[in-house]
Amino acid sequence: MVLLEIKQVEKTYRTKLGFQQCVALRGISCKVEEGEFVAIMGASGSGKTTLLNILASLDRPSAGEVLLDGIKLSDIPDRELSRFRRDKLGFVFQDFNLLDSFSLRDNILLPLVLARRPLAEMEQRLIPVADMLGITTLLAKFPYEVSGGEKQRTAVARAVITEPRLLLADEPTGALDSRASANLLQVFTKLNCLGRTILMVTHSAQAASYARRVLFISDGRLVSQLFRAADENDHSFFARIISSQSALAGGGEQNG
Amino acid sequence: MAEQSSRGFYRRLAWTNIRRNRVFCLPFALAVAVVSAVFFLCVGIAFSDGLSNMPSGATARAIFAFGVFTFALFAFFFMFYLNHFLVKQRKKEFGLYAVLGLSKNHVGRILLWENFLLIGGGMLSGILLGALFGQLLFSLLKQLIHAAPGLQLRIPPVAYLGVAILFALVFAATAVYNLAQIRLANPISLLQSEKRGEKKSRFLLPAALLGLAMLGFAYYFAWTIENYAIALGVFFPLAMLVICATYLLFAAGSIAVLRLLRANKRFYYRPEHFVSISGMFHRMKQNAAGLATICILSTMLTVTLTTTLSLYLGQEKILAERYPQDLAIYSGGAEGADAAAYDAELSDLAALYDITLRPAETEPEAISVLETLPHSLYDAQNNWFYCDISGADADATAFIQELRKGKDPLVYGYFDDIFSARQEGYTMFGGLLFLGAFFSIVFLVIAVLLIYFKQVSEGYEDKARYLILQQVGMDAQQVQDTIRRQVRWVFILPLLATMLHMLFASRIITRMLEAFLLYDWGMTLRCSLGVCLLFILLYFVVYQLTARIYYRIVRHSV
Ligand SMILES: Nc1ncnc2c1ncn2[C@@H]1O[C@H](COP(=O)(O)OP(=O)(O)O)[C@@H](O)[C@H]1O
Ligand SMILES: [Mg+2]
Repeated sequence: MVLLEIKQVEKTYRTKLGFQQCVALRGISCKVEEGEFVAIMGASGSGKTTLLNILASLDRPSAGEVLLDGIKLSDIPDRELSRFRRDKLGFVFQDFNLLDSFSLRDNILLPLVLARRPLAEMEQRLIPVADMLGITTLLAKFPYEVSGGEKQRTAVARAVITEPRLLLADEPTGALDSRASANLLQVFTKLNCLGRTILMVTHSAQAASYARRVLFISDGRLVSQLFRAADENDHSFFARIISSQSALAGGGEQNG
Repeated sequence: MAEQSSRGFYRRLAWTNIRRNRVFCLPFALAVAVVSAVFFLCVGIAFSDGLSNMPSGATARAIFAFGVFTFALFAFFFMFYLNHFLVKQRKKEFGLYAVLGLSKNHVGRILLWENFLLIGGGMLSGILLGALFGQLLFSLLKQLIHAAPGLQLRIPPVAYLGVAILFALVFAATAVYNLAQIRLANPISLLQSEKRGEKKSRFLLPAALLGLAMLGFAYYFAWTIENYAIALGVFFPLAMLVICATYLLFAAGSIAVLRLLRANKRFYYRPEHFVSISGMFHRMKQNAAGLATICILSTMLTVTLTTTLSLYLGQEKILAERYPQDLAIYSGGAEGADAAAYDAELSDLAALYDITLRPAETEPEAISVLETLPHSLYDAQNNWFYCDISGADADATAFIQELRKGKDPLVYGYFDDIFSARQEGYTMFGGLLFLGAFFSIVFLVIAVLLIYFKQVSEGYEDKARYLILQQVGMDAQQVQDTIRRQVRWVFILPLLATMLHMLFASRIITRMLEAFLLYDWGMTLRCSLGVCLLFILLYFVVYQLTARIYYRIVRHSV
């Protein structure tokens, strides 16, 4: 079943003065099936964050449509939008975006509190999620007291505790060292095995190699994609991503 | 040539920075302007020729000189504090400069130019402001102290010098501080300095309880003081106690209460409370001292105004208490005939001045004497002439002055009259009220600037928080409600504390005023009520204005 459908999405930023335009996305189309783990790869400035913000309904496209579960995002009225976001989507950001004023527990519970879930349900959901992410012992701490990897796992816990239809991640390993990155990506793989649909944006081939499918974005366009074979190991997929990436970069250089 | 253009470069860059950071720079320059205007006037009045010629001018000058010194000290630290706000806010920008390849020297020069422009501009406008409003204020002062109309305020050159010296010092101190900030910091820590975590607070409950005990003791003591001698003696110690207690309660008490609220899970885990309570935690941990300072400034303001206003308005009551009769002359044991002669002499002189003397009604002994010696003003038992005077005040004053000039064998030094006292009272109480109002306005301006700087810098901090909240699914309405609730609490806490302090302070003020023979507790209460109402009104205007700025900053991202 198709979970997410992106149809000819374009995004043009206008600078404050209005006479300069910046085209961030130039007609992006793709589909994401339920249960997939997709990575979108591209150089910095290629429009990844812009695309993700549009998928997250945090930003609106200049043209085109985004459908989640068959619902057009543009059809959702503004006052329903935050509820939609809360119920259907989970986010993980590069710089964690945890609230300093909340303990890790409260950071994770935040979406449930906003959804007015009963206290008992909160506790019930928290325990397995925290267990899976290995942060059970840290729950009483505050974000500034834990490491980057632990912060990011907390952010993942916050994103999945609502059991969203789609988990969106923007450079989730961008601020982590390689060990914490590997650890986090293993968590993503595990979540994917448990049936969670994940769309991750990254510029790291290492991170992308954990996905089942990799889309390459360049200059606001999707330029190619790679599927991971059913029995392919991480190393060989990583090698293919690298060669694809350098082929694209080489092509780009020839064009430019 | 190249040197010339590069100097222009730094100045231009500084000017651009000021314009871009105008939310902070403008109020900072305003603070400089207000402080320099006030200082300019203080120095100007304290050293003006006019002051020495006024009745009780010497006393007034002493008070002013003391005020000038205190104010200079205070102004210095206040400006330093505001500057620290300004720099803290912009550390990220400095880090960025460093990353972009501007050397620390360059950043330092830009910063020096910025401060020079801000302080210089503020100072000049302040002096202009002071010169303009000075005349207005001076005529108000003359009105209050019933001074002769011919009096002129000529601000001596020393006032310009004073302001220049004060702000040269401020500039030097802030320059050293800012340069040190840049020099000591490495770019990364500058870039991240905004997101630093907060310290864990320990000894919260003991500190909160100590604060509560101190406040309770101070309140109880203030409420139960029996006489003015004690009140005068303990006023400053009690004020110190209350100030300490306020700081403790804002810093520790608020956190303790919030912890209790957070411990109540059913209450805490609701959208209305969840974000607000944790936000208040954050807010109180960082800003308890600032809020306590606002509260203390507000209390000082209301106490000062209430006291001086009570004295001014209660002057007639004080005079009535102090001078049961309008005129009293001690005769040192005159014989009946002499007394009668002097009596007639007084009455004749009075007639010359269009006034009539009546035997004082208030002195019981005088009345008994009147039965034996009808129409006489002489109280044989006590050897005093007591009389009330009816007629125009000006005539009476002239009469008294004439009397004081004339040497009469019957008068042995003691001579007491309500008219001279009234004139002295106006000078003293009017001067005090003027000073009280003047410094209240200064306190108010400081409190307002503090509130403004807090709101704005918090707005920038909270912006990121509210963005995150939206990303995890808080809707615009919830965000707005949360912001409202939080802003309202931050505003109302200092106000509530001020009003509570004021309630108890009104008791001790009443007692202290008894030292001046003012026994009107009702009037003190009315004065403090009026002052408080005025203050609440002003406070809410400030609240509206700064809250709007805060909303605008926060919503920019929303
Ligand atoms: N708010 C914005 N206003 C104007 N231009 C923007 C804005 N956000 C992004 N851009 C531009 O759009 C392009 C894509 O940016 P982004 O999506 O952030 O790239 P990526 O996340 O792949 O590094 C860049 O050229 C960037 O300068
Ligand atoms: Mg990005």
